[in-house]
Amino acid sequence: MGAIITLSVLGILVLYLGLFKAKNALLPVTLLGLAVALGFTLADWNKEAEPQFSGMVIFDHLALSFTVLSIVVTGLILLLSKEYFTSISKNVAEYYCLILFSLTGAVLVNSYHNFVMLFVGIEIMSVALYILVGIRRTDFASNEAALKYFLMGAFSTGFLLFGITLLYGATGTFDLEGLRAYVMTATEISPLFYGGILLLLCGLCFKVGVAPFHFWTPDVYDGAPILITSFMSTVVKVASFVGFLRLFGTVMVPLSDFWTPVLLTIIIITLFVGNISALMQSSFKRMMAYSSISHAGYMLFAIVALGIESASSILVYATAYSLASVIAFGALILVKRETGSEQFEAFNGLGKRKPLLAAALTVAMLSLAGIPLTAGFVGKFMMFSNVMGTYNVMLLVLAAVNAAIGIYYYLHVVVNMYFRESTADAEQTALPISVNYIVVLGIAALLTLAIGVYPDCLIGILL
Amino acid sequence: MSVFYLVAFLAIFFALMTIFTKNPVHSVLYLVITFFTLTVHYILLNAQFLAVVNFIVYMGAIIVLFLFVMMLLNLNEEAEPVKSNLVKIMGAIAGMCLLATLLGAFRVIEPSNEMVAAHADIGLVENLGKVLFNEFLLPFEISSILLLAAMIGAVLLAKKDVKKA
Repeated sequence: MGAIITLSVLGILVLYLGLFKAKNALLPVTLLGLAVALGFTLADWNKEAEPQFSGMVIFDHLALSFTVLSIVVTGLILLLSKEYFTSISKNVAEYYCLILFSLTGAVLVNSYHNFVMLFVGIEIMSVALYILVGIRRTDFASNEAALKYFLMGAFSTGFLLFGITLLYGATGTFDLEGLRAYVMTATEISPLFYGGILLLLCGLCFKVGVAPFHFWTPDVYDGAPILITSFMSTVVKVASFVGFLRLFGTVMVPLSDFWTPVLLTIIIITLFVGNISALMQSSFKRMMAYSSISHAGYMLFAIVALGIESASSILVYATAYSLASVIAFGALILVKRETGSEQFEAFNGLGKRKPLLAAALTVAMLSLAGIPLTAGFVGKFMMFSNVMGTYNVMLLVLAAVNAAIGIYYYLHVVVNMYFRESTADAEQTALPISVNYIVVLGIAALLTLAIGVYPDCLIGILL
Repeated sequence: MSVFYLVAFLAIFFALMTIFTKNPVHSVLYLVITFFTLTVHYILLNAQFLAVVNFIVYMGAIIVLFLFVMMLLNLNEEAEPVKSNLVKIMGAIAGMCLLATLLGAFRVIEPSNEMVAAHADIGLVENLGKVLFNEFLLPFEISSILLLAAMIGAVLLAKKDVKKA
């Protein structure tokens, strides 16, 4: 609870700093506030977890661990933001403020225990993002992305609300514990409940961006400013998954015969659509957008094969994916600054020009592809072993095929970096990398390797 | 009961007219009438607060906004984008599937549900306030962040850039 209050107050404080033109204080104050919120979260770790505020929120280990993850990733992204925001907009304070509010929403979604909180959390998260996506007002791509995201987001919220309403109609409660009691004890589950599950599933799938509800993802990720894209594809996406997992893990387990086939179909479509579309892209940013769709598909494995390991496998996968995304988008910012392009060709010869940056990006790509000794491998391994436990061989084979497709397009970048010559003007315009980029990319790359070599430190947390 | 059936018939009729009419301004006006019939429904259900809010916010504010935007955009039949038949057929099938699912879900609803009958005056303002400031205090307070974020966004996106001299 301390984290939620700190983050909301911090957002308002940052706004005031912007008002009084204290631009240099923005980043330090924000990071300090994030550290305080992190401290509150960690302090709650050993406390007995029980629903607070008449069952509105619960800070159990699931909520706390994902809150820590989202705060840390937000901190890393904000560290990258130092020069980036000033270069695209004058209203820097509003940037920080909206990102903080969005993070507050993510924390609420991580810790909800009542559908009202889920709804409010998702809305706070999304409304702040609609604005952040469209913050470059003179840029058509950014405007288009914001409008698309807003319309699709509002549409999917309608599904979500209708689903919640139907569940309320069947059970008479918004509380997860009450819903669970209904599912466990009712002699006959009301058809309203089934309708509600389907609509909720649609709404949540929109939010996490899996096929066939993915069509907004590429355009929005492509049109948004790069740092906002990285925030969207890491913090917001992971929070939506936690909401998904908490709902299905606590309430829907006894009804798995009903929703498993639906979810299986969604996963298979998602994997193929995401990976094959990513294969076709010539722009790095668009490739990352499609690859985020396919990663959402892999993360759904944990929900389709619910068990005691689901939470920790999503934690490992989400951590690996978030760290790798931060590196990839950070590197993209640097490369774009030098060459002005987001295409794969912009990465040509990066291995010679900036060996360290290329090495970090290689680690990220290998982690996303799921090569051993990186965090991504551990995440994929846990997801696959979850499905293996349910003897779902067909899904496993299809997933393996897709992982192989994934390796191809991730290695495309690595090949471009090391085995292609850079263009002449790229070498002329070579810019030095600032310290904050070195720190962030270094931390993220080291963590990726550390989790890959010694995964137990992360797996053990939620068991 | 007969009032209910009359109003329900009117609601569905005007909702259909909203979709089928060609002129966008007429469509919005039909939507106003649909919302009005819904307000009558809320009153029949003894949900006075919802009725008032629906009347003021939806019928009043939002629809007027709609009408203004419609008139500013100057839409007409020629400006309407042409959709291929395939899209129309797919849309119809998907819509019908959704309708069938919902109707299947709704068929169990009984008017004399014990949950509803036990709290006949649940929709009165007093009861709503009691629930809002006791049980749902946290979401009520947190909603302020949502509104603040939306407000910042509106100012940020709509404000004119001040040119530096």
